[in-house]
Amino acid sequence: MRNFLTMTVFAALLAGAALFFPTSSLAASCCGGGSATGLVVPKFAKAVLDISTDLEIYDGYWNQKQEYTSDPPGSDLRQYRLNLGYGRRFGQRWQAGATLPYVWNENKYSGLETSSQGLGDASLFLWYDLLEERPLWLAKGAEVLIPTITIGTSLLLPTGISPYDSEESSFDVTGRGFYRLDGNLLIDKTMKAWNTSLVLGYGTYFERPINQEYGKAVAPYDKKPGNRLSASAALGYRYFVGTGGDTVTGTVGYAYLTEAEAEIDGASDRNSAFSKQSLSGTVTYSSTDSDWSIRGAWSHALKKDGWGENFPVTDIYTLGVRYVFR
Amino acid sequence: MSSVKVACLILLCLMLSACGEIADDLTPSSNDERPTFAAGTTGWGVGQNAPPFSIMDTNNTMIELPTALEGKKGIVFYFTMWCPICDSHMSHALSYVMPGFPDVRFYAVDYLAGSVALAKEAATNAGYANSGFIVLADVNRQLAHDYAATMGTTIVIDSSGIIRMNEDYRNGSTLQTVLTALP
Repeated sequence: MRNFLTMTVFAALLAGAALFFPTSSLAASCCGGGSATGLVVPKFAKAVLDISTDLEIYDGYWNQKQEYTSDPPGSDLRQYRLNLGYGRRFGQRWQAGATLPYVWNENKYSGLETSSQGLGDASLFLWYDLLEERPLWLAKGAEVLIPTITIGTSLLLPTGISPYDSEESSFDVTGRGFYRLDGNLLIDKTMKAWNTSLVLGYGTYFERPINQEYGKAVAPYDKKPGNRLSASAALGYRYFVGTGGDTVTGTVGYAYLTEAEAEIDGASDRNSAFSKQSLSGTVTYSSTDSDWSIRGAWSHALKKDGWGENFPVTDIYTLGVRYVFR
Repeated sequence: MSSVKVACLILLCLMLSACGEIADDLTPSSNDERPTFAAGTTGWGVGQNAPPFSIMDTNNTMIELPTALEGKKGIVFYFTMWCPICDSHMSHALSYVMPGFPDVRFYAVDYLAGSVALAKEAATNAGYANSGFIVLADVNRQLAHDYAATMGTTIVIDSSGIIRMNEDYRNGSTLQTVLTALP
């Protein structure tokens, strides 16, 4: 039973890593920031609390031809985020929670330096344990191949500062300004010390009226960003440290994110679609009872043609701590 | 901590946030709140006289409002920070707007560069050197200030110096409509 608990926590940690790395924020000043992340509460646990900090450093962008383009000379663009997340189980298979980021934008250009902060876009989520894998020592025949499958939905709330607020500068932006409903699928499989996971998400924004842009009143119009698809895969390996049962888990991952063209008053906005690919590495240290864990992660977008479209190229460094309530 | 307390804490945060500008997004409005600007006054509003300016382009030529308008039905300012969205807008303007309006002059305004040379370098890096845009180096951000502009702001001034548009580029359709209606 102890091993099974450890395994499920291991799976949840890796799933958590997988959930966190593909959902990095959008660009700070130019594209709307804030992040929507999810948490998975390990089986047999009551709840999970997660606090993390992100440093996102911008280094150029991909244009619409998917060509890498450098930022203006003398620029240094950064976004810092403090993310608070809480998830809790309800009954045997259900869990719900929320994440709330706080965002600091630090932008330096050759002729201007700005600093701003504010709440990012919050997210509410609901998960359902659809299928559970069996421990290897209990599985018979093909049962060893059965993964854990979790499905869920999340709602992004426009609690951040968006271009459609009264803030007058694009440098102050910390959120998209739209509600978005996502459907999520998490497939996870643990084999001894190895674990792999696949996370898929598909979201649709709700259309909203807009009557101001950066604090400037404009003729009202309706806008709906394009539907969003995210996919990520991760592979992890767990080491036991010493004799006490503490573990270190290394995870590598790949993430893909794309958003279709927005609609403005029903007409397509061909300037809005984007895509991004990134690679990531995560190291997680977990206590013997797996109640506490600390992680460091690096998400890296390649400064090469073809790895994205109409989107900033960034590196994201994350430090997080998580506590599981039993 | 009980889940109820956590939920209350999150709700409290959201409510506090909603006290400010964030309420604009949580409960967006479709009311037309554009102010009415008196004709004959000078300012950034649609219908006002465009504020005068004197600004260097990246070829070290001083540009002023009368010379910018000379021989044209109007001018367009696009405020850029050389970001992906800016690139999309400018690329769209080059391909779909400029060809239809040869009697309009298009300016890209770099309001973040510290010098004319750096604005020129930024334009070259982004692929807009010698494009249909004349790049202006708004080194002191005077133009951005006087026209209440930020990233993506697109401004149309007609041949008589009246502002006809001052809003985000979006998908370029409003810009095309305004340019088509220029006298």
